[in-house]
Amino acid sequence: MRERFLSGYNDFVLPFMIGMVFILSYCLVGMIRIILQLPKDDRKKFFLSLVTPSIILKNIKDIFLDCLIHVKLWKRNKLLGYMHSSIAFGWFMLIVIGHIEVFLYTPNRAKLFYYPIFFRYFVAETEHTMKGAFFFFLMDFFLLVVLSGIVLAMIKRLRSRFFGMRRTTNPSFLDLVGLYSLWAIFPLRLLAEGFTADISGGSFLTKSLNWVFHSFLGDHVNMLPTWWAYSCALGVFFIVLPFTRYMHIPTEILLIPLRNVGLTIRNARKGFAKAQVYSCPNCGLCIDACPMGVLKANIRDTTVYLNRQIRRNNEARIEEISDKCLLCGKCSVVCQVGIHGDQLRIAQRSIRKYNISPDYSNIDEKVLLNGCNKFVKQPNSNVLLSDSEKVMYFAGCMTALTPSIRKSLLSLLDKAGVDYEMMDRDGGLCCGRPMWMAGRFDQARQMVEKNSAIIRDSGANVLLLSCPICYKIFKERYHLEGIEVIHHTEYLERLVRQGRLDVMKSGTSFVYHDPCELGRGCGVYEQPRSVISGLGKLVEARSSGPESICCGGSLGSLTLGFDKRKMMTENALENLTAENPDVIVTACPLCLNTFDRYADRPVKDIAEVLDNQTTKK
Amino acid sequence: MVENIVIVGGGIAGMEAARQLLKLGYSPILIEKSGTLGGHVAKWNCLFPDLTPARDIVDSLVSDMSGVNVFLNTEIASINRLRGSYNIMLTNGISVITRIILFTTGFSLFDASKKEEYGYGVYNQVITNGDLEQWFNNGNDPRVDDNVRSAVGFVHCVGSRDEKARNPQCSKVCCITAVKQAIEMKQKFPDIAVYCFYMDLRMFGKKYEDFYISAQKDYGVRFIRGRVSEVAENIEGKVIVKAEDTLAGKPVKVTLDLLVLMAGMVCNPDCSKIANMVSAPLDSDGFFKSRDNVANVISSSKDGIFYAGACTGPKTVPETLAEARSAALEIHNYISAI
Amino acid sequence: MMDFGFRISPSSAVNMDDVDFELFERLCEIEPDARKCMACGSCSATCPASAFSGMSLRKVLHCLQRGKEKEAVRMLRNCMLCGKCTMVCPRGINTRHLILSICKIYKED
Repeated sequence: MRERFLSGYNDFVLPFMIGMVFILSYCLVGMIRIILQLPKDDRKKFFLSLVTPSIILKNIKDIFLDCLIHVKLWKRNKLLGYMHSSIAFGWFMLIVIGHIEVFLYTPNRAKLFYYPIFFRYFVAETEHTMKGAFFFFLMDFFLLVVLSGIVLAMIKRLRSRFFGMRRTTNPSFLDLVGLYSLWAIFPLRLLAEGFTADISGGSFLTKSLNWVFHSFLGDHVNMLPTWWAYSCALGVFFIVLPFTRYMHIPTEILLIPLRNVGLTIRNARKGFAKAQVYSCPNCGLCIDACPMGVLKANIRDTTVYLNRQIRRNNEARIEEISDKCLLCGKCSVVCQVGIHGDQLRIAQRSIRKYNISPDYSNIDEKVLLNGCNKFVKQPNSNVLLSDSEKVMYFAGCMTALTPSIRKSLLSLLDKAGVDYEMMDRDGGLCCGRPMWMAGRFDQARQMVEKNSAIIRDSGANVLLLSCPICYKIFKERYHLEGIEVIHHTEYLERLVRQGRLDVMKSGTSFVYHDPCELGRGCGVYEQPRSVISGLGKLVEARSSGPESICCGGSLGSLTLGFDKRKMMTENALENLTAENPDVIVTACPLCLNTFDRYADRPVKDIAEVLDNQTTKK
Repeated sequence: MVENIVIVGGGIAGMEAARQLLKLGYSPILIEKSGTLGGHVAKWNCLFPDLTPARDIVDSLVSDMSGVNVFLNTEIASINRLRGSYNIMLTNGISVITRIILFTTGFSLFDASKKEEYGYGVYNQVITNGDLEQWFNNGNDPRVDDNVRSAVGFVHCVGSRDEKARNPQCSKVCCITAVKQAIEMKQKFPDIAVYCFYMDLRMFGKKYEDFYISAQKDYGVRFIRGRVSEVAENIEGKVIVKAEDTLAGKPVKVTLDLLVLMAGMVCNPDCSKIANMVSAPLDSDGFFKSRDNVANVISSSKDGIFYAGACTGPKTVPETLAEARSAALEIHNYISAI
Repeated sequence: MMDFGFRISPSSAVNMDDVDFELFERLCEIEPDARKCMACGSCSATCPASAFSGMSLRKVLHCLQRGKEKEAVRMLRNCMLCGKCTMVCPRGINTRHLILSICKIYKED
């Protein structure tokens, strides 16, 4: 290899350099801002993580697998996975090998930023070395890989259905500019390197292209304009990048270390939330996942559009989108970059201004405790308190409206001989989760404290819940040291496993609906299925487990009216009845209530079906 | 030639219309999907406001059915529109060609177990108005016999005036039925307390208001203006009913031995099936759509299709009988004009 | 009755002529369902806060339409937003959003 120009410079590198300097400084400033916006303790944790070897390794691994290889996307959709990893990993390899070439052949130019990018313009082939041919081959190979990805991207733009996506996002104008400049980069590079291949050398792609060109365009005059075009495409892409969805490429590299520290969104717009919003690649996977999508009008209220509106500071739309959501969490499950659409929305709700603020200080928790103090040792009683299981059952607001659940569960507890007490037989306080979902954290915390006091003072050591909405907040926000918080699906599974209930199997077929707050919310999937398998034939819904479809009755949505939810419920029912089960089983009073309204077959809680097929031991 | 007229539904509307048409010289064919004639009314004990035995009405109608072609346990398999007439295939294999079809398909009682919070089918102490009528008839229902000691409650508007139950319309007859059943319970158990939980009392018919006054004055039925929202069970096996006494503006709680849910009239699920066969429109409440809700309730917008009774909306027994008669006359006029 | 020219207690009568409906009209603009209530009392009967505080959404709506904002706000401060009222409302009113809107439009004082 020999250098063609003594200066090692040509004016055409300017567009690229301007773009590169701009984007690097933009990202640097952005990164520092996001880190500074983190709350103090979060920031400290973040810095500590950067020197913790295990987290460093995990960061590197995640960045490599998520940003370059797109492993998660491969698992979901092979074609999309190939498209993304071919462009990302291919481009990455082009940059890496480009640098290796510079280091090997023109080490004196290693300081020049643009040199690896435009390497072939600046060098001329002198002799055939194995090394040169090898690297040229690799460069051409990865260029081909990237080009194949670009071709797929073009097909996807025209026919998203071909990729198994029913609906995709509408790109904004700048997105389109970014998109077209990105598409242009690699064909232009091929063209430029093709024209130059007879001087600089090349491999199977560029060399053969050069042969073709020579047959009708022998002149080297054509060389420079193509290099200019290539540099311009890069420059334009870098300049528009911060204002397009492609900002997700640099942001994700920051989001992964932040995520691996285990941060949560603590400010609606700054810090971690901002990192999430900018990491959104606008892929639109959340659109097909969203249960509200059955109504076409709701498509623009999915997480991808929330991120877009937050970036634009469109307050009216942010409010509309965040209030409408059912908070089922499915978009978070399918999201490739780990954006938590539900938490992001709760955070947006938390910055609303209200003139009236509820206050529960006048509620005396002692009075409530009096109704359920069976386990508290009476001052002058001789009863010895053993360490045996003392179960406090908190039915919660929703179960009060579904007496079938409460009655069956109490019957099962009786059959199994459990020592239990009901916390809210004559009414109780709300668990606080609905208030939390509305973003009014201070009010929710008051309820959490009142309920915690009752439970701690009751002398119980197990808190049993039949409502997943309660369960989630009891697990996440209550501090009940020494008291086991358990959902009835888990507890019933334990009773069956321990042989404390005699279960008779029948020929009935059941499908189990994973309630959002229990499945995606708390990760309980197996126990209810294990119980149902012992009762009859368990069939699965078309989408189930982490991808189950919200019943549409969720308290998460603040604005969806009753009449607007019907289609969502019917869609969820259609998904559940794909295998034509006899009975739909769920484990949430709200799902039960919602499904029963429109279902064409019995809908029952897991406690009810178990109670029907259980005899007293 | 004697004109065939197909009447779908052997309740009181169908039988009354058949009787009138017979008198007018036609040959009515009455199709009934169950094994007996009389429909809902045959299952009831007595009728408001004079406590007339329901049996009398049904028996007198049934006794006049001797000249009518009655197909019991028969449903409509399909209806084909021909030129100016209909070809009806019945499930018993018979096919009939007719120019006139009279629908008297009636109503269904709202499935009270759909109102989860009331615990019908969960608690042994919760029954419906239909169950209570049957108990009045045959006095054999452990839910009533074993439970009633000191207090009984009636919940009005169960599954009617309720968008959640998908029936926003008023079912019209439940208010007066509750008053009637409350009085009857008081007659059978003079010492018990009887509560009626209502949203509004709609005493629209002749002598209904008198009946209501009698329930208040003579029988001491306790009326509470508030819709029941929750039903729970206590340790003694009684049900605790929670409502708001909206007149006092205070929550109210009552412990009861028996809770009777006044399930409303909803459109018969067969309605939409049959409506599809003859492409007759349904109204927004799910019942058949009349040509005009004031001047022409008994005609449909399709030629030769007529309605009578509760298939176009909740109706009382006298209203149903009157409609059946006017439908017969309307059909007679229709045929004469062809 | 002799007229002494003064009264011991202020009149508890509602004078509809003096009621200012401006805020309620604004509420109805964002919550048209506020007018749908038929005062059945289901919401109040099921409300977990009502046992402790006399909170009643039915009464809140009624008070707002009779110019008794103070009373309404006092009751609303006990709401736990649990959503039971939404579930039982026979008119299908989205009571939770209605409550949040009242909390935005009306003021504590």
